[in-house]
Formats: sequence, C-alpha cells, structure tokens
Amino acid sequence: MTQPSGPIPARNFDEIRASCGIVFTDWSEANDAEIYAGIDISDLRPMVARLVENGCRLASVFAEDRTTAGSGFLLYHVFESLNDRRYLLVRTSIPVDTPAFPSVAAEIPAVNWQEREIHDWFGLVAEGHPNPRRVALHDNWPEIHPLRKDFPIDTVLPPFEGEQHLYRPTLGEGVFQIPVGPVHAGIIEPGHFNFAVAGEPILYLQLRMFYTHKGTEKQFEQLPVNRAVYLAESISGDSSVSHGTAFCQAIERASGIEIPARAKRMRTILLELERLYNHVGDIGAIANDVGFAVANYHASRLREFILAVNEELSGSRLLRGVVCPGGLRHDWEQQQTDHCGAALNRFELEFAELMRMIDASDSTRDRLERTGILHPDKARDLGIVGVAGRASGVDRDLRRDHPYAAYDEVSFQVPVYLEGDVLRRMRVRVDEVWQSLGIIEQILATLAPGSHRAAVPPLPPNCVALGTVEGWRGEIMHWIRTGSQGRLERCKIKDPSLNNWPALVEAVEGNIVPDFPVINKSFNLSYSGTDR
Amino acid sequence: MIEQVLLVFFHLALVLLLSPLITGFNRVLKARVQTRQGPSLVQPYRDLYKLFRKGMVIPDTASWIFTATPFVLFVTTLLASLLIPTISAHAPLSLYGGVLAVVYLLALGRFFLALGGLDTGGSFGGLGSSREMTISAIAEPALMLAVFTVAIGAGSTNLSTVAQSGLGQSWRFLAPSQMLAFAALFIVLIAETGRIPVDNPATHLELTMIHEAMILEYSGPYLALIEWAAAIKQLVLMTILVNVFFPFGLSVDWSPGPVLLSLVLFIFKLLLLSVVVAAVEVSNAKMRLFRVPELLAIAFVLSALALVSTFLFQG
Repeated sequence: MTQPSGPIPARNFDEIRASCGIVFTDWSEANDAEIYAGIDISDLRPMVARLVENGCRLASVFAEDRTTAGSGFLLYHVFESLNDRRYLLVRTSIPVDTPAFPSVAAEIPAVNWQEREIHDWFGLVAEGHPNPRRVALHDNWPEIHPLRKDFPIDTVLPPFEGEQHLYRPTLGEGVFQIPVGPVHAGIIEPGHFNFAVAGEPILYLQLRMFYTHKGTEKQFEQLPVNRAVYLAESISGDSSVSHGTAFCQAIERASGIEIPARAKRMRTILLELERLYNHVGDIGAIANDVGFAVANYHASRLREFILAVNEELSGSRLLRGVVCPGGLRHDWEQQQTDHCGAALNRFELEFAELMRMIDASDSTRDRLERTGILHPDKARDLGIVGVAGRASGVDRDLRRDHPYAAYDEVSFQVPVYLEGDVLRRMRVRVDEVWQSLGIIEQILATLAPGSHRAAVPPLPPNCVALGTVEGWRGEIMHWIRTGSQGRLERCKIKDPSLNNWPALVEAVEGNIVPDFPVINKSFNLSYSGTDR
Repeated sequence: MIEQVLLVFFHLALVLLLSPLITGFNRVLKARVQTRQGPSLVQPYRDLYKLFRKGMVIPDTASWIFTATPFVLFVTTLLASLLIPTISAHAPLSLYGGVLAVVYLLALGRFFLALGGLDTGGSFGGLGSSREMTISAIAEPALMLAVFTVAIGAGSTNLSTVAQSGLGQSWRFLAPSQMLAFAALFIVLIAETGRIPVDNPATHLELTMIHEAMILEYSGPYLALIEWAAAIKQLVLMTILVNVFFPFGLSVDWSPGPVLLSLVLFIFKLLLLSVVVAAVEVSNAKMRLFRVPELLAIAFVLSALALVSTFLFQG
C-alpha cells in the first residue's frame, strides 16, 4: 500500500482565505461542517482557479431557484480542502434576466456533467462550456426546465420520441462503431455505450446516461420530511443506508440536533454492513466477468451471509426503512447484536478462504492486472471519488476526512493504490472489507445501551445544510434548503457515480472490447444514482 | 445393404440422443463445484424440445444465408459424426472419407455459421464471426497435425482403421507421439467447443462472446438446430479423443454383445473426459482474447512435436 504525497501543502479554509486574495462578499460558518461564502459572479472563475491552486477540490456544483424569495438563482460551488473537516460552499447570485454563469468545466472536467445538468434543469447557460450539449434531459425533450419553481411537478408533457443525439463520428479505415444498450442482456439498468473500435482495441467510448431520469430532486420538494427519507433510500438501491444517512444528517444539521451516541454507532454498523455486502458481491462479479464463476458463486454465498445479518438487525435484507432523522427507527436487542458479531466472525473465516482461492488463480490475476488503467493524474483531474479514486491514488475517504456517525471513535486504514487497474480496484474492495469488519468489531465492543433516536423538532424554515457520507461507492452529498410546513425547498443529491462515469471512458481506452465488461464491473456505477 | 442403412440410422440416433447428455453432464458437474444445485441432467433435451416448438424472429436484413446456416451446420456436423467410430470400430460411412473429411465437414459448418453471424449486419454477429475465424485459423492446423500423427502410426487416415490398429496395442497411448497429440487435441477440443479458458458458454455479456455472439440473432427451431449441432460437434471431437487414443473395449464389428459392452465403455469414457473438461473450466478464468492464439499455438507446437516424435521413436 502506498501513500501518495500531494505536492501542495494542505491548509484549512481560513488560512487559504487570508492568503489567496479573493474578495468574498460574506463569510459565515453555518455550523461546524459548513462555511458559506458569497462572491460576485465576475469573480467566480478567478476564485475557483485560486482555490484549486491552493489545493482545494471542487466537489460539486449545483443551483437553486430562489426567484419566489426574490433573489434570482443561486449557484453553489462546494469545495473541500484536505486539511479541513469543513466544506466551503461559495454562493453566486444569478439575476433572473441574465440566466447564465461562467463555466469552469474547461479547467475542471469533474464538473462537466454537473454544469450541463444545471443548464438542463434550471435553464442557466454555462458560458464557455467546452461541450454545452444536453445531458440530463435528452435531446428529444421539449425546452423545459423542471427544477424551476414555476414548473409544476404535475405538468403533462406532449408525447415526444426519436432520440436525436449526435455521437462524435467515427472515421478512418477499418474503424467501426459498436452501439451497446441502452437495453442490456443482464438484469442491469439502462445506459448507452458507443464504442469506436479498430478491430478489437477500443479507440474511444461515448456514454449516454439519464435514461432513468425520474425527477427525484423535484420530488423531494413535494414530500414531508418523514416520507422524503424513503425517497432518499431509493435513490440508488444498493446504497440505501448511505443515501438515507446523508439525507438524515442534513435534516439533523438543519434542525440543529445531535443524535444519541448509540444511534451514531448503530448507523456506523449499518453503513459498514452495506459496504460489506456490496464489496463482496463486486469481488465475485469481477471474478465472474473474467469467467472464474466458482469464485463468484462463493462470493454470492458470502454476500447472502451479510444480507441475513441485515435482515436480523433491521428486518430488511437491503437495509430499507432503517434510518430516520434523529437516529434509527428501531432499537436492537442484545441478542441481535450478538448474532451479528458471531455471523461476522464466521464471515471473516470464509472470506479469507475466498480470497485465497482468488489469489491462487493466476489466470484471474492475468486478466485483471494492467486492465482498464485509470492514471492517477486523470483520476485527480476528473475528480474521481471512492473506490475507483483510491485505486488511482486519490487518497480521500469522507469517513476519515469529514467524520460523521461514529467514525471518529474507531481506527481504520484507507487503502490507496497508484496503479489504477481492475486488480487494484478489486484490491481496494478487499482491503476495505477487512477494515469494515474491524470497524464493526470495534463498534460492537463499545455499543452501550441508550437511546436510539432523538426527538426531532419541527423543521425550521429557510435553513441550509449539507449531509455527506462515504457510501461504499464513494462520496455522497445531500444539500437541503428547508421550506415552510416541514417541507424542503430544494434537495440536491450527488451520487458518486456522477463523478465516476467519465473515468470509465478514460479507463477503457486502448483496451480490447471483450475486456470492457470487467472494467465496467470494477467501477460498478449506479445508473439510477446518476440519473436521479 | 439394408443392414448398412439400419446401421446408419442406429448411429444417427445414438449421436443425436447422446450429444445433449454430454452437455447436460458438463453443466451438472460445474454447478456442483460452484455449490449450486444447477439444472437437471436432461435440461438440454428440454431446451431443444422447447426451442423446436417456438416461433422465430428473423431480422429484416437477413438473406438466404441466415436461413441456410442452421441446416448446413446441422447436416455437416451430423455427416461428420457418421465418419467416426463410436461404439464399433467400423464407422458407418467410413468408406466415404477419413479424418480429412471430418475436419472439413466441421469447417464447412463453421464457415456458414460465421457467414450467418455476419449476414444480419448486427455488430455482435460480426464481432463473433471475426473472433471465431481468428481462433479456428490456428485451431485447424493443430487439429490436422495431431490426427496425422495417429494416422501415420496406423498407416491410414481412415479413423476406423486408426481405431482398429489401436485395439491390438492397448498401451500405445503411452508413446510420446500419442501423448503429445492427445494434449494438442485436448486444447483444440476446448477451443472448438467454446469452453473456458477460450470462450465462456454461460456468459450473458455480448462483448465477450465468441460462439454465442454469432448466433445471437437466431431463435426458435433454427437456434435449436445450431445448439444441437454444437452438442454433436462436441461429441464428435470427444469421440475422436477417446476412441483414437483409448480404443480398448471398442467392438470390432456390429454384433450385439460386444457392441453393448462397447456402448457402456464409450459413455463411461466420454463422461470421464467431461470431468476433465469441467475441471479445466472451473479452475481457470477465461483468457484475454489476444492470449487465446498463444494457447492454440501451444497446441500447434505440441502436435508438430508429436509428428516429429512419431518418426524419432519409430525404430
């Protein structure tokens, strides 16, 4: 395991603010996790450039419609600094009569899709965007901007059909296009992959997502908070606890409540169980995609093991309906946690055996090593997060960098590799399985009886808050603005898949077509989480 | 004459009925190792029955080649099966051709299968056909050289003669040339029947397929013919392996007693070979596509060595 050393000394936001010479119109610490700063729209691009020069990472860009409150549109750039547990949210005001903002996608490709989403959903033009085509609403959609407040959610659009998207043409002798999807052979979600190939080697991959766009962010604005939790849990079916927890953390922060210690620890266990069942499933799936089916079936058996623990603890194999604002819906009996501990001990032994089997298979290693390399420089530039990032030298993990739940009580390692191939993405998962087992063990040892749920006061209106969770896939963000009568004015969701799809494009380049499925599987991104 | 005709029919029935069993047995074995219950032994028969009763979807872009392919493939494979000795050293049609005919009947079927994959203009069919041809271009010479090795030993390319000559000398398979040729033919068997590490018959991932990619557009009875032909081809290749290298117990004529014993032994030997194939399949990952030619090159080198050692150790 190697720890890459960043060339830029990490500093906290206060030091950066004092030294970088950016003029912020205001600067306020909303709570111990968020700083809100305002900036004039003309200073936006220099500000982003200066912060990035100072080692900050632009984690997300999103907008909200405040025209009903008389402040036009607001644009937020969310920054993270390695040496600061807080996030910096820089707010830019966009007047209604000039609905445009300066794009930074040319310098920071990580926000390419996010800026185009803002264009599609709010009608705010990303000026200077290198590829200003539609992304979230496909080309055949009428000219609508559904996240604007004057767009009623029950609008019935006239029927439209005929996808008109123009792919980059594939030219040259012996160069062909292979269109794959959006409907695939397995039981997976829809996405279109357009390969340009010269024989078997892939020259270029073009992606098309958002086939399952459901207007989730708009839907959040309609629901009372206690029901919105269920919606958060279903943003990406395999990350229900992570998304649910991120959402609840935002609500709790907006309400200004602290959840009981027991609830924090229980959430930590659930989050790690979710990581466990997904990682084990993925390790098997990667082996399966190179034709090593035996390992897959044993991994499936182990995944089932964890699912049984999930059911024992929560009544739901996929951990739905578990978290709620203030803590968890149900407390656990001593018997349940004992069972969980015993089951995980058995799991540990069997997992070690599974890994011995996979490690002993030279033919599997031959397929995985140096396949689908995502170079660390590209991973950093594209803002790749989570498992895929850590396999390519991006040493970020929210559990360590921005601790939530009970992660500041436990010790664990963050595995980081520099090679960035399929094997290392699998290795990161394997290492994290061991770390997760250790975390659960530490928590179980300290899980003292107590309250599992704090009372949540009525939601105060017009509060903003951010909830972040390191889901098993990577960084999940929920940003909310509360409205009247316990509802939300805006809920922005950022799933790690949204960051990571472009990584797939880079990783497959130069590989051969039959290796694509295993490369794709090593990222295992969520279509539903991307499309929302 | 009547006897000859009856013999052909008996032989056809044997090959048609036995081939899906081998496929089923292979799947059962693999399922057990994978801690699965898996489909039953007779599932391939059920699949064929189901497919024959189903309707077909034929792409608008398909020409007569698409329609002709399943028939050509099925008939050529079945004809090839009549040229090899199964439960008697006398193959029913052995007078009409030897091992060259077997190899090229199979090649004709594959040629049409590749055309059928290309015919509809779908991107996966083309992928599959190009991969299949790449692999067969190397698998074929390896197969030829290996069978020549045994043919030289027997002094004939007629497989019946080859099997008969082996009957007299039960320990012949221990000769270096025979062992090398067997190893080469085993690799060819893995490649030609689309098994791991060359191809994954169980995958749903179109982008990784070889054989399955060519037949993606086929459905219903046409698909049944192609699947059945694939099972027969597997049986043909396995039969060559077991009967040419281990012919003991093979009946020299078609008299009922020895033939029955021969049948039992034949099935036993086939199942044993299936176990070996399944063992290779479950203990390996699929090779990267560009490594497959290397594997087949090994088969080619092995068969070349076999041929050379035939002369070296002849004395």
